[in-house]
Amino acid sequence: MKRLGKFLLQLFVLALCLCYLFPIYIVIVNSFKNRQELYTNMMAPPETFTLEYYVTAMGKMNFMRAFGNSLIVTVVSIAFIVILSSMTAWMLVRYNNRLSRCIFAIFVATMIIPFQTIMMPLMQVMGWIRDTLHIPMLNTLGGLIYMNIGFGASMAVFLYHGFIKAVPVSLEEAATIDGCNKFKVFWKIVFPMLKPTTVTVMILDVIWIWNDYLLPSLAISDKARRTIPLSTASFFGQFTIEWNLAMAGLTLTIIPVIVFYLAAQKHIVKGVAAGAVKL
Amino acid sequence: MRRKKDNAWYALFVIPLVYIFTTVVIVPFLIGIGYSFISWDGMPLNEKTFVGMKNFTRIFSDQRFLTSALHTVLFTVISVAVINALGLFFALLVTGKLKIRNVVRTMLFMPYLIGGLILGYIWKFIFTDVFKMIGETTGWNHFFFSWLLNPRYALAAMIIVTTWQMAGYIMIIYINGIQGIPEDVIEAAKVDGAGFWQTLLHIKFPLIMPSFTICLFMTLSNCFKIFDVNVSLTGGGPNNATEMMAMNIYNEIFSLNNYGYGQAKAIIFFIAVASITLIQVAITKKREVEM
Amino acid sequence: MKFKKIFTILLATTLVMSAALTGCGKKEETGKDGTNPTPTKAASDNQEGNGTKAADKIVIFQSKVEITDQLEACAKAYTEETGVEVEVWGTTGDDYLQQLKIKLGNNQGPTVFSLAPGAESQELKAYLADLSDLSFVNNIAANMANEIDGKVVGIPYTMEGFGLVYNKDLINASKVTNYDSFVKMLQDQKAAGVNGFSLSQESYFLIGHILNTPFALQADPVDYINKLVAGEVKLQDTPEFVEFAKFMEAIREYTNNPLEVTYDKETGDFATGKSASIHQGNWSYGMFKDYDVTFDMGMMPLPVTGNDKLAVSVPTCWYVNSQASPEEIQAGKDFINWLYTSETGEKYMMEEFGFIPVVSNMENPNMDPLSQAVSEYAAASKTISWPMNEWPAGIVDVYLKPVTEEFFTTNMSGTDFLVKLTDAFVQAGQ
Repeated sequence: MKRLGKFLLQLFVLALCLCYLFPIYIVIVNSFKNRQELYTNMMAPPETFTLEYYVTAMGKMNFMRAFGNSLIVTVVSIAFIVILSSMTAWMLVRYNNRLSRCIFAIFVATMIIPFQTIMMPLMQVMGWIRDTLHIPMLNTLGGLIYMNIGFGASMAVFLYHGFIKAVPVSLEEAATIDGCNKFKVFWKIVFPMLKPTTVTVMILDVIWIWNDYLLPSLAISDKARRTIPLSTASFFGQFTIEWNLAMAGLTLTIIPVIVFYLAAQKHIVKGVAAGAVKL
Repeated sequence: MRRKKDNAWYALFVIPLVYIFTTVVIVPFLIGIGYSFISWDGMPLNEKTFVGMKNFTRIFSDQRFLTSALHTVLFTVISVAVINALGLFFALLVTGKLKIRNVVRTMLFMPYLIGGLILGYIWKFIFTDVFKMIGETTGWNHFFFSWLLNPRYALAAMIIVTTWQMAGYIMIIYINGIQGIPEDVIEAAKVDGAGFWQTLLHIKFPLIMPSFTICLFMTLSNCFKIFDVNVSLTGGGPNNATEMMAMNIYNEIFSLNNYGYGQAKAIIFFIAVASITLIQVAITKKREVEM
Repeated sequence: MKFKKIFTILLATTLVMSAALTGCGKKEETGKDGTNPTPTKAASDNQEGNGTKAADKIVIFQSKVEITDQLEACAKAYTEETGVEVEVWGTTGDDYLQQLKIKLGNNQGPTVFSLAPGAESQELKAYLADLSDLSFVNNIAANMANEIDGKVVGIPYTMEGFGLVYNKDLINASKVTNYDSFVKMLQDQKAAGVNGFSLSQESYFLIGHILNTPFALQADPVDYINKLVAGEVKLQDTPEFVEFAKFMEAIREYTNNPLEVTYDKETGDFATGKSASIHQGNWSYGMFKDYDVTFDMGMMPLPVTGNDKLAVSVPTCWYVNSQASPEEIQAGKDFINWLYTSETGEKYMMEEFGFIPVVSNMENPNMDPLSQAVSEYAAASKTISWPMNEWPAGIVDVYLKPVTEEFFTTNMSGTDFLVKLTDAFVQAGQ
């Protein structure tokens, strides 16, 4: 009897989740319809199952190229964000002086700046770096990665900062006495313990960078360097959205993220946290 | 000697990120502040005139901007509460004993994968066409009508969509916090005879205080800055009833070409939000349990 | 203490950097400010004329999303014929202008780009090269090229026209000629279970285009706008607008609420016979391609104060970036010249883009019915202009749309509506 109740509860939760995902159903269903079918009934399943719009969308998006660019930008940006932010956050926590608190406060405070208000000056600064130092900051994947690191820094530092405080100092002290320098202490002892937070940062940043439109649209002009969101942009006219292509493009865009998420969430498992140690 | 060495390590660890961050965020932001004293349309070859504080004084008689500030506050307060309550509930649900928790977790997280603009378009269809259809077939047309045409319901629609999108995101951070609670603490509580609610209120909540700090902050700043959903779902309508500050500023800069005045608004906006969120962080930080 | 030092150095570099930055900006400004920069630069271009060697690559950035694919094919054809590489940057229609401005602003602008002639091109005139010396300029139909300060800077894409796109099976155009007959049509259609007329919720389709008509009916529309913005005239005191408000009241009373209608739904309802007419332009024909439309459609003017002219003008022009190198400017001009004078160029403009000819040396025999209608009205000189391009920047989205939303969700009177629209123009013009 109890087992049945539990089964029903699970069924109920699952049903609720399915309702919760109703808008996603709309995305998928409409990636198979033409304008007339869409007009007739946006909610009904498609009359014919055709991958036509997916093929068209992939062709128009130059999908493999865009996918490659997105992959490079996302992976490299996140690697840098994770490494640099965890290092910075660790120092800021361990040397809790006025300077550290000041830097931390600035990181946190700037998270609230709406991107739209700094994008114009940002492009000027990058243009200036390009013109004077001859480092190609604009229209290159490297420049985009550099800017992503800057924008991702705040949140990552903020997250690491919150969780590093739960890591006991005693282990680090022991290692220092054993003759490890700071670099070793960090990489051998601290960083592995931050794994759950690292995974969290990675998940959140993958989604942000993978889907980001505004920054790449300003930083990248060349067709060959477009990321996925830029390559789907042409499906959205001011007045004429090509719904089928847009929805197909969107589905293609989010599938890799879902795969990544499924792979990553295994690592946020119980016990990885510093629980093994003191606490 | 030792201290000097420590300082060098500190510099080595902190400076690279701070440097990148400065060039990408701080310097552009400072330049932006500079522009707020200028009357200009944003094009380098066009005329700039220095107007001093005039842009700032003009803000306080800008009825539309002040109204948008009011909407933003109202929207943010309700959304933050709802998103956090729901996110925490989800997190507790999927860290519990359900067999299907992994599936559920993935499903709850999926809405966040759809960008704000498309999300807005899809929900717009739900709030107008689907709601109307339900209203017509069931006869409950007091509740099911085109929500986006009624100022109050349009605001509610914004809150619902934002919650739908963000709850899964916030859930991830709460999960991270809940899983950081050592098993033995919970076990000990159970042995002492604590029930579900007692464990939740007296053991779990205090221990996930850092997650509260982070989640509150993220929801606060995200809701204040809400833009994508605003543009695509309601477009600020009907009759500006749902125009939020970010959209107002965006319009000032990019539609009306008042770059300097828009920057001035952005600065005021920033100061307001920064003080509110910093106060929030300070308060919740104090309540975090030292472990 | 070391970090304090390092931090100070860092801070100092940052400050120097920002100082240098703003310094740079200022220098640039003082160098080119005051004396209008375009004439000198353009003049030197002129002197060099065809003597300038053209660059071997140009970049095109333009806002008409519908022709993106065709334009890319066209660019390829150009490369094959001339060896000059042409890159077409993609864009959405939505944030095109904002992106263009940022790219022009930090010197990574395209060689050739598009703008709406009027307030937009006026604002960016410092960035527009003089195109007066292109060989076909004299063939452009009267008043269609964009001239600023006596020089041709913009070459028109096509003509577009808007008015009532109507179903010939349901409406007899010759019987809808003024306010009374328009209202009677709405009532008759409603009685027959058909929606007589439809606007849609997008800002231009809701109010921008339809409000253009009473402006265009003024003796001197641009002068009228200037006076309106300055507060010297009021819409509620102008007869054309008073009648326009009566039209809007009738639309509110007898047709579906436009705020519940998207462009997709508006055109879908029309294509399936649920709406007898929609306020749209010839661009909307592309929306019908997925439907089996079983009736003939036509286009007629919105009969405000008996108006019998269609609103026809140039939606977009080509411009060349005056800030590009002289070689690039020359290459950009060469491309435009090729597009408007060569056989291949004409083939693309007419057959692929589906444009209505704006130069006398072109013809388009295969126009869709709506473009055909626009072209006929233009040939008969039965057209009114688009003063909406001279309205203050951003007014349609930021001010006119909210007011109209209020009009359609409340019982606001037509007069109050006009009062609020007048206020909007005064505010937006500040």
